[in-house]
Amino acid sequence: MPRLIFLALTLWLLAPVAVQAQTLQDILQTHQDEVLKPGRRSVGVVLDDLVASGLPQTVPFLEAWRDREIVQRDSDGLFFRATEDGDAITLNDLDTGENVGTADDADLTDSRPNGGVRRAIGDALVQFQLSDPNILKRRSAVNAIARSMEASQLGPLEASIEGEIDPTLRATKQRLAGMLGARFADTQDKRIEAIEALSGDLSVDVRAVLNTILTTKTGVAPEPPADKNIAQILTVGTDLTAEDAYARLVAADLAPPLISKAAIRNALVANLDGDTVGGVPVATLNTDAARATAYDALAADGLLPQRVSEAEQAAAIEAHSFYLAYTEPDTAITDAARAALRSIETNVALSQAADLGLDALSLASIYFLAAIGLAITFGVMGVINMAHGEFIMMGAYTGFVVQQFVPDYTLSIIIALPLAFAVTFGAGVTMERLVIRHLYHRPLETLLATFGISIALQQLAKNIFGTQARPLTSPEWLDGALVFNDVIAISYIRIAIFVLALLFLALILFVLKRTRLGLEVRAVTQNPGMAASMGINPDRINMLTFGLGSGIAGIAGVAIGLYAKVTSEMGADYIVQSFMTVVVGGVGNVWGTLAGASLIGFLQKGIEWLNPSNTLAAQTYMILFIILFIQFRPKGIVALKGRAAAD
Amino acid sequence: MHRSFFLQNPSILWFLTILAGFTVGVTLVSEVTGVGLISTSFVKTLGKTLCLCLVAIAMDVVWGYCGILSLGHFAFFGIGGYAIGMWLMYARTEGIVLGSLAGQPIPPTPAEISDAIGNQIFGVVGSSEFPMIWAFADNLFLQLLMVVLVPGLLALVFGWLAFRSRVTGVYLSILTQAMTLALALYLFQNDSGLRGNNGLSGLQNIPGYEDFSQATISIVFFITSAIALAAGYVFFAWIVSGKMGSVIKGIRDNEARVRFLGYHVEGYKLFVFTTTAIIAGIAGALYYPQAGIINPGEIAPIASIYLAVWVAIGGRGRLYGAVIGAAFVSLVSSWFTGGGAPNINLGFYVIQWTDWWLVLLGFSFVAVTLFFPKGIGGLFDLLVRKQP
Amino acid sequence: MSMLLEVSGVSVSFDGFRAINNLSINFAPAELRAIIGPNGAGKTTFMDIVTGKTKPDEGTVIWGDKNISLLGLSESQIAREGIGRKFQKPTVFEAQTVRQNLAMALKTPRGPFAVLMHKKTKPNGARIEAVAEQIGLTNEITRVAGELSHGQKQWLEIGMLLAQEPRLMLVDEPAAGMTPEEREKTTDILKEAAKTRAVVVVEHDMEFVRRLNCKVTVLHEGSVLAEGSLDHVTSDQTVIDVYLGRAHA
Repeated sequence: MPRLIFLALTLWLLAPVAVQAQTLQDILQTHQDEVLKPGRRSVGVVLDDLVASGLPQTVPFLEAWRDREIVQRDSDGLFFRATEDGDAITLNDLDTGENVGTADDADLTDSRPNGGVRRAIGDALVQFQLSDPNILKRRSAVNAIARSMEASQLGPLEASIEGEIDPTLRATKQRLAGMLGARFADTQDKRIEAIEALSGDLSVDVRAVLNTILTTKTGVAPEPPADKNIAQILTVGTDLTAEDAYARLVAADLAPPLISKAAIRNALVANLDGDTVGGVPVATLNTDAARATAYDALAADGLLPQRVSEAEQAAAIEAHSFYLAYTEPDTAITDAARAALRSIETNVALSQAADLGLDALSLASIYFLAAIGLAITFGVMGVINMAHGEFIMMGAYTGFVVQQFVPDYTLSIIIALPLAFAVTFGAGVTMERLVIRHLYHRPLETLLATFGISIALQQLAKNIFGTQARPLTSPEWLDGALVFNDVIAISYIRIAIFVLALLFLALILFVLKRTRLGLEVRAVTQNPGMAASMGINPDRINMLTFGLGSGIAGIAGVAIGLYAKVTSEMGADYIVQSFMTVVVGGVGNVWGTLAGASLIGFLQKGIEWLNPSNTLAAQTYMILFIILFIQFRPKGIVALKGRAAAD
Repeated sequence: MHRSFFLQNPSILWFLTILAGFTVGVTLVSEVTGVGLISTSFVKTLGKTLCLCLVAIAMDVVWGYCGILSLGHFAFFGIGGYAIGMWLMYARTEGIVLGSLAGQPIPPTPAEISDAIGNQIFGVVGSSEFPMIWAFADNLFLQLLMVVLVPGLLALVFGWLAFRSRVTGVYLSILTQAMTLALALYLFQNDSGLRGNNGLSGLQNIPGYEDFSQATISIVFFITSAIALAAGYVFFAWIVSGKMGSVIKGIRDNEARVRFLGYHVEGYKLFVFTTTAIIAGIAGALYYPQAGIINPGEIAPIASIYLAVWVAIGGRGRLYGAVIGAAFVSLVSSWFTGGGAPNINLGFYVIQWTDWWLVLLGFSFVAVTLFFPKGIGGLFDLLVRKQP
Repeated sequence: MSMLLEVSGVSVSFDGFRAINNLSINFAPAELRAIIGPNGAGKTTFMDIVTGKTKPDEGTVIWGDKNISLLGLSESQIAREGIGRKFQKPTVFEAQTVRQNLAMALKTPRGPFAVLMHKKTKPNGARIEAVAEQIGLTNEITRVAGELSHGQKQWLEIGMLLAQEPRLMLVDEPAAGMTPEEREKTTDILKEAAKTRAVVVVEHDMEFVRRLNCKVTVLHEGSVLAEGSLDHVTSDQTVIDVYLGRAHA
């Protein structure tokens, strides 16, 4: 049939005038019964003839038929398209489309194609739509084929490639034809050729096609059958359990069914005889062994079917061969499909690794942004700021508030970034002046005091902004993702965050290495006493450092808010990871924080990949890893050495 | 223990007297005696508070005396709760299952009973298999042993790892916080074998005592908690008052000096960390039958930080300070969040304490740290004349 | 004469900076020794190595009659072996009384359970009193250490060392911040202690070293520059160059 359609389509396309001898009505009249009461099978004849006719009015007719608008006038047996207009029914001629008057419902018989028939009509329509002048129709026809993937579609699709003028759609059609060809081409050579052509394609639908070709069914027989395309002989014990194997034997009627424990129990209950069953007292039937004894006694009397003993089960399993067989009978094709799938999977694995790397990189950027402020304050002042997470939140809410006043998303982000820095810088300096300054040399108390601030700030945010997540919308040019292939893709927001992290790395390195402030900060980090005696005012340095660290947290907040939700608790989600980053990286060194963020980002993604179903477990393992890591490098990856690190 | 131990530490006798008086007083006016001045639910609140006081003194010993700001002791508390909760839940479900199977024509096999119990307990997480960790759940004695062993061993292993690599100060705090987070995340998983975020529930029903009213059970737990607190108080007071106390306070103030005096500092820290973890576990095992339910949220890192907050507000480095802090903050907190505190109308805004309590707590905590580092307990110094 | 402590060929560097460079130095069982040297000569690092705080990159540190290597021991094990150390800044437990400070240092079993079960005994009390007497803090014995004067804290720390009954006392700048009278008393305490054990004093103050009247070792850039009596080393040209050179720099 595909060939026929192909032929017909070609004719229709090339020489529409040649066969204009008959009208649509003529064709319908020859198939009156089939048109009126179409069946899934009988409709094929009508459709074939219609397609073969090459009449342009075929498409509107098929659409009307599919939409159940075709009626037969009882008086003369002619078919019309009927449109209901209130009570009146208007009839239209099928060839000319002209209005030929109205009719009464009682004088008409509806053609009511069922679902299957309507699908068949739809398929036939696709053939026409594939070459429709309107590209939208062509596109939707191609999509329809990609969804249904049926053998009959191969011919028309291939035929339509030649005339396709849109290069993108043409490529799509060729690709789709390749996939269809792999499954449905009519010769072995053509299929193998199509399958081999697919092996460079990583997309999910290609893999689905190959997997469909490689669909297997389990089977069991005394000997592996020679007429089947065997994929694998299963070994009982390794590939399947003995219970499973026996169950398959039972399902294949090759062995008597087992009597389950529940069945034994029910049988015993059914055969209760006063206080005993099969001679066993009911009160003692609280073990499986006792129940088996009672059951066997009843079975010996012929009241119940015999239980299958373990030895009989083993013998039955031993006597049979369990196998997986391809539904595709041709070994050459399954071999080719296997080879193609293998090569695709290798590529997919490589791409997945690359994609995972990109994911990890963006996660590392986020951790870096979230932790670098913390690392600076910890390194310079030995102060752990538990409210750091709340500064991140404050930055994100600043972004949210800005967006309430500045509707342009690009502009609002450009305003929000420095504003978030300013707001959190101010908050940080205020906190340093009011609280932390008084607690130097009492680091544990700083930790707790900042925790107090953290819970207060969190609750304040909840009171002001409510508990629901607030959106921080990214500008349109950050929507979407950079797609390398079907596996490797990274969203632009993540790229932007990565760039932001790089910018801040550069900025912080510049501030620390090239400015007076940086020099003083490093001096205070390495030896506060000496720095003070050289005229550096540690008070000022501490204040500025704390402001800087907090300000960066604010910027991180905007960045995180763009791709995650803005809630009053978002800071808490990042604080432990930020601590980990600082601890793992080592204190007082920008590169240490970078190393820590990278390690944690890659580790988290790596563990998630190993255990993809469970991010909770991934986090648990990661923390355990960090606890162990600290054992071997208590001072972090990049540790200060010498006297400065001694206490 | 020396006879002079109590004489040298008169505050212990004071504490025990007040606690005894309080316990007897509450019992007399509870519903059990028919007076009913105090409702059963409030007796439970008081009993729970006593358990919180017990874990608070453990926290005080490890932090206030030994200088280890552990952000993991509430996790040990939770583990104790889980350990006892497993038995409570198993035994109670077993009773229910046996009751429902009793009417069957044939007595059930052990496997059938176990399956039915498993179905009851783990149905919520889509399982009916008993995980390995429930192996002892049918045995009260073994499970009580778990209350002590699991927190103890966890603290021992974690402490050994952390202390031997000389992790101290805020690093150690963060590491203990990480441990707590890991534990909470683990428990949140459905396949942890502890019913994921459903936690264990129905713990207020004590198997074997179904005939007793909750009023009676609550008083029994209240008194038991009071006895445990008293015992814990005396135990810790004994530890911190002698030479041991000298050494661990020395470790807090100057770890290196203690080390150069020849003391194996890590061993002492491990001793304190583990002992307090065990006491925390016991406190949890008493707390959760009164609370009735435990879930992983209870173990979240924030709970351990609150524990530190109580001790700081009550006054570190003195056991009664921890008791006062835990009792005061947790009771005041439930007063505020329970809607007991009157709202304040500012005209343009109404301060609802259910929303603003945490803000108040946060800032008052900062204030305490800044201005009253000795906490509420420091007030007692003003009352008691200093020894010459 | 067999040596109490033999340090030989020890080197250690921090980030490429050689704090100790092939240092060899020996101490007899009962001697008073002063170690002097300019800042950065490696005096403190030397004490860190002997007490186990810093592990050297190379070299050996052999201790006692049984020739134990100290390099594999922890700080607390070395302390229990009989090496006591006094820090530059007085480090006593300021929250505890003088008696508690001394009791903690007193040579008794150091294990946690022994300490937990520890009971006050008459002989131990007498030993504490004796040490307090030796350092002149008998009247301060019930006072909290934090209330003591700077000099008294220095003595208390020396007293804690004595209570430890070490065979080697490493004393870092004991006279820093003391009045002349206090220095004199400190000298007496150290001289008395050196009769039964080795006492090594690291000191800047030449006047104080002279008063100790003992063998002097000069450290410079992590190794021994000169050794002998104070007069001998101060007349050594290299020593003069080092000190004067630095003074002129």
